[in-house]
Amino acid sequence: MEGLRLSLGGAAGGAHLKNISCHAFSTLMEFAVDARGIVKVYEKTSRALDGVDLQVRPGKVFALLGPNGSGKTTLMRILTTQLPPTEGHADVMGHDTVRESGAIRGLVGYVPQEMSVWTDLSGYENMLIYAKIYGIPSEARRRLIDDSLEGIGLSDAKDRLVRSYSGGMIRRLEIATALLISPKILFLDEPTIGLDPVARKAVWDKLTSFKKDFGTTVFFNTHYMDEADLYADEIGIISRGRIITTGTVAELKRSVGGEVLVLETESNGVDAATLEMVRGVASVRDVALGESELAVIADDAETALPGVMRILGNSGAMVRKVSMSAPTLDDVFLKYAGTRLESGGRLSDVSRVRKTIRRGG
Amino acid sequence: MNPIKNMLVMVELESRRIRHDRTEIYTRAVQPVLWLVIFGPVMGALRAIPTGGIAYTDFITPGVLVQSMSFVSIFFGLTMVWERESGILKKLLVTPAPRYSIVVGRSMSSGVRSVFQALIIIPVALLIGVRIVPNPLYFIGVLAVLFVSSGGFAATSILIASLMKSRERFMGIGQAIIMPLFFASNALYPIEMMPPILKALSSVNPMTYIVDAVRSLLITGDLAQLPLDLAAIAIFDVAMFIIASASFKRIIE
Repeated sequence: MEGLRLSLGGAAGGAHLKNISCHAFSTLMEFAVDARGIVKVYEKTSRALDGVDLQVRPGKVFALLGPNGSGKTTLMRILTTQLPPTEGHADVMGHDTVRESGAIRGLVGYVPQEMSVWTDLSGYENMLIYAKIYGIPSEARRRLIDDSLEGIGLSDAKDRLVRSYSGGMIRRLEIATALLISPKILFLDEPTIGLDPVARKAVWDKLTSFKKDFGTTVFFNTHYMDEADLYADEIGIISRGRIITTGTVAELKRSVGGEVLVLETESNGVDAATLEMVRGVASVRDVALGESELAVIADDAETALPGVMRILGNSGAMVRKVSMSAPTLDDVFLKYAGTRLESGGRLSDVSRVRKTIRRGG
Repeated sequence: MNPIKNMLVMVELESRRIRHDRTEIYTRAVQPVLWLVIFGPVMGALRAIPTGGIAYTDFITPGVLVQSMSFVSIFFGLTMVWERESGILKKLLVTPAPRYSIVVGRSMSSGVRSVFQALIIIPVALLIGVRIVPNPLYFIGVLAVLFVSSGGFAATSILIASLMKSRERFMGIGQAIIMPLFFASNALYPIEMMPPILKALSSVNPMTYIVDAVRSLLITGDLAQLPLDLAAIAIFDVAMFIIASASFKRIIE
């Protein structure tokens, strides 16, 4: 009896231990990317990263948003084991980027910002060379490459030299190459820079469908706000080598101070009592009365609008026009980084597009 | 990943690139062909250089082959600079291939270009009457020596590329390295003719040993010095691979 109980206890103890180790593993992998205090100093003087702390949960699409020169690429190069950090350390998929770089390289797909295929080879040959470098067995290789090329819509162009590809086709080829090993995490440095809107959408359609099929974590750098807005589950904002804030798009926008309703009214149609009533509408945060317009700041302008309209209608104020503006990521950027993201991006964008074209040609 | 396998992939890459575009191989063949067709007969007519009973053009054919090989390999490092400016190098760094195998693999693949180059130059030499050892094994030996030595020069150029930050600077340095090595070797004249300082220099010049190996296999058929030559080439290759791999991280940053 005693022995039986002991052995039961032992079994239970064993199960408990197993739970603990499972738990330990899951805490280990709580983050797909876990960077702590990353500092990178180039040539002893230029401080590209200045203490980056960043956590990305597995299975998410994470966008690192920041202007050119903010340290996005440097951070990605550290995370993909190309560069050691000067200070701090980072884990990717539970492996240290310096000590266990080999393990990470077998798990990540990576598309650098610049062109990373050989233009004097065909699309198929590019895939073949990378498949061989990754050690994909020869039996599986041909089908895998053909399937990938099919998947990104390059089957018809696979035997043409990459030199003759458009920018969008090259990007898709690069992404297909990065996906060859079915990576656990995909790093994309400015994946759609220099592409026209149609090509950008095509690239993102492929990425989104791959993500859905494999649950891969996606970490991408961008300075296009709309891209971060549309495709990212979470966003980190980086400026001058520091992560300024992180959160979902909605969280970040909300933190700026909600949406704004502007109602143009007949002059002097709104009295103080009405104003107080508007202030009481659900989700309304603040109200400001101008000469002939009423500005209502709300967490959710669309929900607040009917209530506001009803009160104004009851008070007899005539509303001529309503406009609604939601805060953009640019507003978010302005609030946290103190500068606009948009204005800085444009000019360098043009020169970068030119560079891409020159390299492609 | 197995570094040998990685090297073979790089060799395959280079072969495929050459298959698609051979222009560079042809244009680079112009200079060595001029050495053979013009410099050789003109200098030979003077009979000023004691070549041990060999026709002068025959004597310099190995030197010209080695010079063209070293140019091809040195400028191969330029590809590396280009790959750094593009994203290819970054991408290669994030594959499981170990870094030194990227350096060694890329270096050895320059041998493919060098061998192709030799296969254009040798027929020209035969056309103008150069007599080579009629033994296919010796001929394969010539190509093997050129292929292997090419790796050492390409590694040298990767080392230079890691120190230079621009392509333009690199072009100048490439010339500035090859020509002195060429003239301080036995490519155009026997070592015995040289003044003592040049003689000393030539004895530590890898090109001397490579030219000697190619000359014994292609022209004289006298293999007495070959083991020494091969040992020197092996030391040159390994040393350059190690130094280039060590300085490779400068290219990355």
